[in-house]
Amino acid sequence: MAKEMIAMLLAGGQGSRLYALTEKLAKPAVPFGGKYRIIDFPLSNCVNSGIDTVGILTQYQPLVLNEYIGNGQPWDLDRLYGGVHVLPPYQKASGSDWYKGTANAIYQNISFIERYDPKYVIILSGDQICKQDYSDFLKFHKEKDAEFSVAVMEVPWEEASRFGLMVADENDKITEFQEKPKNPKSNLASMGIYIFNWDILKKYLEEDEADPNSENDFGNNIIPNLLRDNRRMYAYHFNGYWKDVGTISSLWEANMEVLDPEHSGINLFDEDWKIYSRNSGMTGHKISAGATVENSMITDGCRIKGSVKHSILFAGVKVEKGAVIEDAVVMGGTVIKAGAVVKHCIVAENVTIGENAVVGAMPSEDEKGVATIGANVTIGANAKIGPNAMVNKNVEGGEEQW
Amino acid sequence: MVNSSKSALGIIFPNSYDALVPELVNVRLMASIPFGSRYRLIDFILSSMANCDIDNVSVMVNNNYHSLMDHLDSGREWDLVRKNGGLHIFPPFAEKSSKPFVGRVGALASILDFLRDQKEKYVVIADTNVIVNFDFRDMIKTHIETGADVTVVYNEQELPESLLKSTSNDKGFYYTLNIEDGRVTRMFVNAREPGVQNFAMNIFLIDRELLIDLVNTAFVHGQEYFERDILLPRLNKLNVQAYKYEGYVARISDMKSYFDENMKLLDDYNLDALFSGAPIYTKIRDDNPTRYIDGAKVQNVMVADGCIIEGEVENSILFRGVKVAKGAKVKNCILMQDTTVEAGADAEYLITDKNVTISAGKEMKGTDSFPVYIGKFQTV
Repeated sequence: MAKEMIAMLLAGGQGSRLYALTEKLAKPAVPFGGKYRIIDFPLSNCVNSGIDTVGILTQYQPLVLNEYIGNGQPWDLDRLYGGVHVLPPYQKASGSDWYKGTANAIYQNISFIERYDPKYVIILSGDQICKQDYSDFLKFHKEKDAEFSVAVMEVPWEEASRFGLMVADENDKITEFQEKPKNPKSNLASMGIYIFNWDILKKYLEEDEADPNSENDFGNNIIPNLLRDNRRMYAYHFNGYWKDVGTISSLWEANMEVLDPEHSGINLFDEDWKIYSRNSGMTGHKISAGATVENSMITDGCRIKGSVKHSILFAGVKVEKGAVIEDAVVMGGTVIKAGAVVKHCIVAENVTIGENAVVGAMPSEDEKGVATIGANVTIGANAKIGPNAMVNKNVEGGEEQW
Repeated sequence: MVNSSKSALGIIFPNSYDALVPELVNVRLMASIPFGSRYRLIDFILSSMANCDIDNVSVMVNNNYHSLMDHLDSGREWDLVRKNGGLHIFPPFAEKSSKPFVGRVGALASILDFLRDQKEKYVVIADTNVIVNFDFRDMIKTHIETGADVTVVYNEQELPESLLKSTSNDKGFYYTLNIEDGRVTRMFVNAREPGVQNFAMNIFLIDRELLIDLVNTAFVHGQEYFERDILLPRLNKLNVQAYKYEGYVARISDMKSYFDENMKLLDDYNLDALFSGAPIYTKIRDDNPTRYIDGAKVQNVMVADGCIIEGEVENSILFRGVKVAKGAKVKNCILMQDTTVEAGADAEYLITDKNVTISAGKEMKGTDSFPVYIGKFQTV
């Protein structure tokens, strides 16, 4: 039986601008918002939008991601027909290839898509924090009788030249595409989320593959080719919360925005649009007498004896007596020992911050960095980690790193 | 290994001792009483079984069991969705003449054909009002080593006051043991002895074939209670071994003990004692993390996910989705799922059931010795 629309989720990116956080982890598996990973957002959007078939294209450091996805049950994507499938590159009779680009990743899985005989395919990106109803996007696509639609966000004109921009007429029909132009003609930034009619997508993927000079990329190759042929292309305006969390500072910022849903627009407390995740299975968190917790998000398994201010703590974080945490993102299983000061930083999973160590600093005139500590690192007692540091190895007690 | 000689199946009695906490079982049964900020009582024994490869578990529901069906669902959270074994829920088989079961015998008799068809050598029987993170592997090993026909688990503790002071037997039977060289020589029903006793925890291990035989005999003689009518008269004939449990035990014997056992988890020592072993699983609700908003003051609390705290909370256990509004005060309370304490309300020594609302500005207080219980969906 044919599916109306299936999703293909691009999750192979290395996320090299997240440095220490993505050394052993694909970007979509990076923890976010206290108990989620980035990929929980597109997966939850899919199931909340009625899409029950999702192919996840993985390539870079897929182990954690594969285990996390498992059979897809936490997202209700364990289905008899459809459900979630992790799609790594594989060997074929004619040889094997890594995914050469975003378009090539989909091209190599044409046979996967054909199993479901879909009318539409939505291409999603695994490195964005966004709550979006894809069924509304599909409705738009059908109403316009489009062959290709792209979700766009209005961005400030002064920032427009950082994005891939869609120039559209008053009917939202796309007339031109500008990739990071010096002189933007539009402020409609592509979110990297596309709906294609499957017959069109397949035709252009095959054509793109046959072109030896192509980079096999949606933005650089497929979309320009569609424009060249005057295909029916439309821009779908999205005005909810959307954030590309591809850099340390944007990842930190997005986490901080979770603490202020009233103003930032990213509300995780939405009963009608739950974000699902794999559960830690730990007990409720505990806040001891003498601890202080202000304006923070705390989840299962945490034990707080120190002071936590404007921070996000993931499952099982321990904050010992006298430790001070402010403006920090502290990922699961990390222990912050007595007297340590952890500020304006991202601390990855299973890190130990020694007694009286100092990590990061509140921003000042000349220093605005977000210190970052990679997973499984131990910071010795009395060590000092500067606000621009990127730590991926143990730091001995008393040492300084800037 | 399909079914080794060490394998056991589990049978849980979720309605046992319902009468001890009448308020809490008004809309549910013992097994589905919320406990420890995000669990239900059955989670402990069921997770213990699942963690010890006891993956064929039958739950003998008797009445008020909709909440438990909802909680257990397919058994997936305990990894008990299996082709062989898995979770079975057995309600009473409704016939014209059928009544809810009184003791274990009737319930077990109703599944004798099922029991005959199973492959496991042993059967573990347990209730849900005794909260433990139990290692059944060690118990099975000891059972085999001692050549026991039946192994009875106990711990050394004083009888709870509510049982000592009780003047009737209408809250069900409990058992204390006389032990000689590890063997149970006498069992006492509803003893009122002060001081430390060998207090049975209502966890048994028995050979499956023997159980079938004993239940069959008891049933045709109109007997109802496994301990009183089957074990007690046969202490001479059967080798009934006592297995002393030294781990953390929380027993629910009345509302006061329910309150106290929850509160004890605020002490890290107790929390670690109960949870540091194998994991305890429960139904997932997919709440977001708990949010503390400016103005929140929290001291000595255990809080599940999905809460929004803007007021003051002290010495309390908060279940999932609790809201404490600005200026509200919560002290020495157990607030079950989705309780709302509105702005300026003052709550002390309360046990609020699910979806209770304490209205803005209202003051509601129990005392240390008598925490006030507020029923599901009530608004104060």
